[in-house]
Amino acid sequence: MIRLKGVTKYFFPGTANQVKALDNINLHIRPGDFVTVIGSNGAGKSTLLNTVAGVIEVDEGRIELNGKDVTDQPEYRRAGSIGYIDQNPLASTAADMTVEENLAMAFMRGKRRGLSRAVTRSRVTAFKNTLTQIGMGLENRLKVPVGTLSGGQRQALALAMATVVQPKLLLLDEHTAALDPKAARLIMDITDRLIRTNNLTTLMVTHNMEQALRYGNRLVMMHRGKIILDIGPKEKQCLSVPDLVKKFTQSSGDVFDDDRVLLAQAE
Amino acid sequence: MTLENVLINALEQGFIYAFMAMGVLLTFIMLGFPDLTVEGTFPFGAAVTATAVVSGISPIYAVILGSLAGGIAGAATGLMHTKLKINNILAGILTTSALYTVMLRLMGRPNTPLLAYDNVYGQVLGWIGISQDQLTAVQNHIAIILTLSAVVLVTRLLMGWLLATDLGLAIRATGNNERMIRNLGVNTDNTKLIALVISNCLVALSGALACQVQGFADVGMGIGVLVAAVASVIIGESLFGKRSVGWLLTGVILGSIFYRGVLALALRLGLPAHDFKLITAVLVLGALSIPLLKRKKRKNGVLNGGTVPRWHRTVLNLLDNKADGRDVAR
Repeated sequence: MIRLKGVTKYFFPGTANQVKALDNINLHIRPGDFVTVIGSNGAGKSTLLNTVAGVIEVDEGRIELNGKDVTDQPEYRRAGSIGYIDQNPLASTAADMTVEENLAMAFMRGKRRGLSRAVTRSRVTAFKNTLTQIGMGLENRLKVPVGTLSGGQRQALALAMATVVQPKLLLLDEHTAALDPKAARLIMDITDRLIRTNNLTTLMVTHNMEQALRYGNRLVMMHRGKIILDIGPKEKQCLSVPDLVKKFTQSSGDVFDDDRVLLAQAE
Repeated sequence: MTLENVLINALEQGFIYAFMAMGVLLTFIMLGFPDLTVEGTFPFGAAVTATAVVSGISPIYAVILGSLAGGIAGAATGLMHTKLKINNILAGILTTSALYTVMLRLMGRPNTPLLAYDNVYGQVLGWIGISQDQLTAVQNHIAIILTLSAVVLVTRLLMGWLLATDLGLAIRATGNNERMIRNLGVNTDNTKLIALVISNCLVALSGALACQVQGFADVGMGIGVLVAAVASVIIGESLFGKRSVGWLLTGVILGSIFYRGVLALALRLGLPAHDFKLITAVLVLGALSIPLLKRKKRKNGVLNGGTVPRWHRTVLNLLDNKADGRDVAR
């Protein structure tokens, strides 16, 4: 499905601030995999997602999607197969446009956009179906500008947009991190349901260890640009948060001290 | 100037500049691209039209030619910005500056009088068997207004249709959330280019139709037209609402008429014409700064929140250099 071979990315190359954001990453995601990615601040989680999506160009290594090398493809060329939701609810939807217009744009993901009407009756039926699946009542608010929706509703719409046309790969970059706990739980439940029912291949970045363990069939832990743990479905099922912290210390030789991750367990 | 003349002036000038206002709406507000090319495209459209008329081309084709020439200027700015990564304002200034030479070369002098030639309005009247000479001055103006209103209506409908297509949505999203629409597979370089071409075609059409009414083309006729267009857009947005794209387009046309009406009225009240540009600039500045001053009072005001008007947001984004939603929260 997707294969990363020796992917390396530098930030501020050639300066005193040079950072190896991704350090020789090798990762193979099989169709139907739901991989959670966890790690402390600056571990390279978001960078990893951004390189897969094509937002960031890699410095070394190759990225293959469905056996095709996409390393040099710009973001807009990969879009046909990749759905992406950012943690910022403002980022994945267009505020000044209506719910149905946003969905219409997502409906044409990766296709040539011509001069045919964007919001047609048949498309609206499809939008309503998708939104009903989401279950937040957005199907009755098709003509509302997205800017008037709450953060949770906007992320729900982003989910609808990511799945209105089934993507080959769904990338979630802490898409519940900016929401209040209640909305975050709701959006996460919807996400999990959508991924299961549509059998979507997913790569989900999270700060929340408990979330990383509860969802998905595979867990990847990153530290300083490297993948230090890759845990499969069987082992993952019987893992607890303290186990994970212990494993982190063993693999990285560091003490796990990211407050945001540790505090997130308490939730 | 009688009140009747004020009305005639408002409608005639308002319709002529309505095309430009729609063009400015497309780039400044929808695309979030402050395109300064328009100060050059407006006289360029006029210069091309005038040169074409003088060289014997039928006025209607001359006007179309003028409009298309504006589109080429828009493409120049667009290519500079997207392919050569020139800052959007600088790209517009470069094109405008270059156009000045092109116009002088084209016309051979700074000014081309057209009174000795047929104009496009006379040509349209000719189609229905009326000669301009048969009509009184007022009748002539009314004929011009009717012709213009028809073209404005058609343009308004075409723009409304375009902005509701898949491509139109992509153009609007490029201004609204560029990162998102790239994510959905749109090469935003192309949408910017298309919008700039359409916008500058409209602006040049305004210039072409203006030179046909006033009977000359002049390289200096573009000075201050941008501020006037921005004023029309602001009036349109605030008076006639921004509930939908359709309302916005209609509002901008009405805003253009309203703005020209106020100018004509001021002229009638004895305000000297050369004060207009300063007054307009002050009015636009005032309209832009009121929400900003209000915003400063609010603590932690969200820049891209729903409360700041769209036209105003373009200016804010310019100041903060935060064009896409991603930068805002990080």
